Amino acid sequence: MVVTESEPTRGVNAAVSADAIPPRLRRHGGSPRQVLVLTLVGTLVLAVFAAPDLASWLDRMDGGPIIKPLQRAAAEWDDAVGRLGLTRPHEILRAATRRLLDLEWGDPS
Amino acid sequence: MLFPTSGFLLFFLGVAAVMAALETRFTAKKAVLVVASYYFYAQWDWRFCFLLAFSTAVSYLAGRLIGISANRDRQRLVVAIAVALHLGLLGIFKYLDFFVLSANRLAHLLDLTHELPFFEVLLPVGISFFTFHGISYVTDVYRGDVAVCRNPLDMALYMSFFPQLVAGPIVRAAYFLPQLAQPSTEPIPLAPALLLILSGLFKKVVIANYLASGLVDPVFAAPTSYGAPDLLFAAYGYAIQIFCDFSAYSDIAIALAALLGFRFPANFNQPYRAERLREFWHRWHITLSTWLRDYLYKPLGGNRHGRLKTYRNLMITMLLGGLWHGAAWKFIAWGALHGGGLAVERLLEPWLGRHSQSRAARVIATLVVFHFVCFAWIFFRAEDFEIARLYLAGFGSGWGDGVQQAGPFVVALIALGMAGQYVPDALFERTALALGHMPAWGLGMTAGIAVAAINALGPEGVAPFIYFRF
Repeated sequence: MVVTESEPTRGVNAAVSADAIPPRLRRHGGSPRQVLVLTLVGTLVLAVFAAPDLASWLDRMDGGPIIKPLQRAAAEWDDAVGRLGLTRPHEILRAATRRLLDLEWGDPS
Repeated sequence: MLFPTSGFLLFFLGVAAVMAALETRFTAKKAVLVVASYYFYAQWDWRFCFLLAFSTAVSYLAGRLIGISANRDRQRLVVAIAVALHLGLLGIFKYLDFFVLSANRLAHLLDLTHELPFFEVLLPVGISFFTFHGISYVTDVYRGDVAVCRNPLDMALYMSFFPQLVAGPIVRAAYFLPQLAQPSTEPIPLAPALLLILSGLFKKVVIANYLASGLVDPVFAAPTSYGAPDLLFAAYGYAIQIFCDFSAYSDIAIALAALLGFRFPANFNQPYRAERLREFWHRWHITLSTWLRDYLYKPLGGNRHGRLKTYRNLMITMLLGGLWHGAAWKFIAWGALHGGGLAVERLLEPWLGRHSQSRAARVIATLVVFHFVCFAWIFFRAEDFEIARLYLAGFGSGWGDGVQQAGPFVVALIALGMAGQYVPDALFERTALALGHMPAWGLGMTAGIAVAAINALGPEGVAPFIYFRF
């Protein structure tokens, strides 16, 4: 629990000031607008490829005048991307993981 | 509101949108972050927000009082009152029923019939973390390590900033408050932040969650039902699970802070490759171990008053560090094991120093430290001492039983978690630099696809992070 190697009497912050992201990786980057673009695009991609999770997340919420229409919209969206086959990668990965989980020592596969 | 959920993603999207709209208005950005942080905290229980606000007010006022007083004794009195208030809150909300239970057990042993009533106080999420923030601020102002914070908005953001609010890292005032004085001129490190989020999600959603549900939880629930090989794998599994769970939270917190324009300190550095227990604590929960060093171990005298007092100080620090993790004797036992281990290691240091030069000796040292840490984790994870005793007794027999629970998949996850301890830093840096050339929309697409894949690989639903309960 305790770091005891060196004990400076002052300057307690020397050991805690090591940035998690080193300065050399901070030379290039973006602006808050680019953070927004990154987050927005990421969310849209997730809405397509992880549509069932969006629907199930909304289903777990209590109903209400705002949530109910959102739940319906998410379910329809899930159906639509499912019909286009966009949730197939999600299903394939999940099924593959399930097979890995069921593996036992000595299985021929 | 957990990080790896749709709800948090939409929350962060909203925060990012407001940050982008307020690009040059730094004070407004800080105000929005305070509101967002309190909203985030209220998702657990809105009543906890009053506690957080009270803790913030105590720290702010104590800092101001220290600042206006030139009398050292008066300053000391202010620090003592502020620290007592912070610890008092922690004591009431986290430890009261533990003390009542312990007193009742003692009374039972002494054949006393009277029992104290339990208070059944709800434990506010993250109270241990924001209490430590408050104590470190007041103490640092008194020591002159940080300037008095005159802006209540800055103090509110320091205490409540949502990426670190419920499970750290513990960010010192001297590290964070200067970042609130003026907006950063550095670019936002998009690619490193994205990599930290993705690696954190993989560690939590895939490795930690499967190890918990597929191995650790069932074996620790009924250790007598399993043979020694399963017990061994479950102990290794818990070591990897708690590392992946907690370091994942830290990674994501660091990345979220970076995306909002702030720096956080490192909290983990491949702890299971440590060759000494002391080195382990240089690599595990670094912000807590350095906090305890600076605010507990050193004020107790550290290693400045001879060997015996050093051992005593190590033991006190580790016992209290154990208690910080939870109101139970098993955490104190865990702390005692580490305190004892550190003291013994210090005692043997001259011998260890002479015999640790060769590669083989270093490998053996790493194995010994890892197994000692795993042994201590058994007390940490077990429901109580009886379960820990049964668990350890299980190692005495049943080595020929084979494995029932530790299937190839969870054993592969343990191996993957251990391999992660030896990934060179350069790999992270090279990947971040390569991704850094992509435009923001390209990074967003990469992130979306990777998160969707991690989500599909993980079990359905997300278990809370282990350190939320501390």
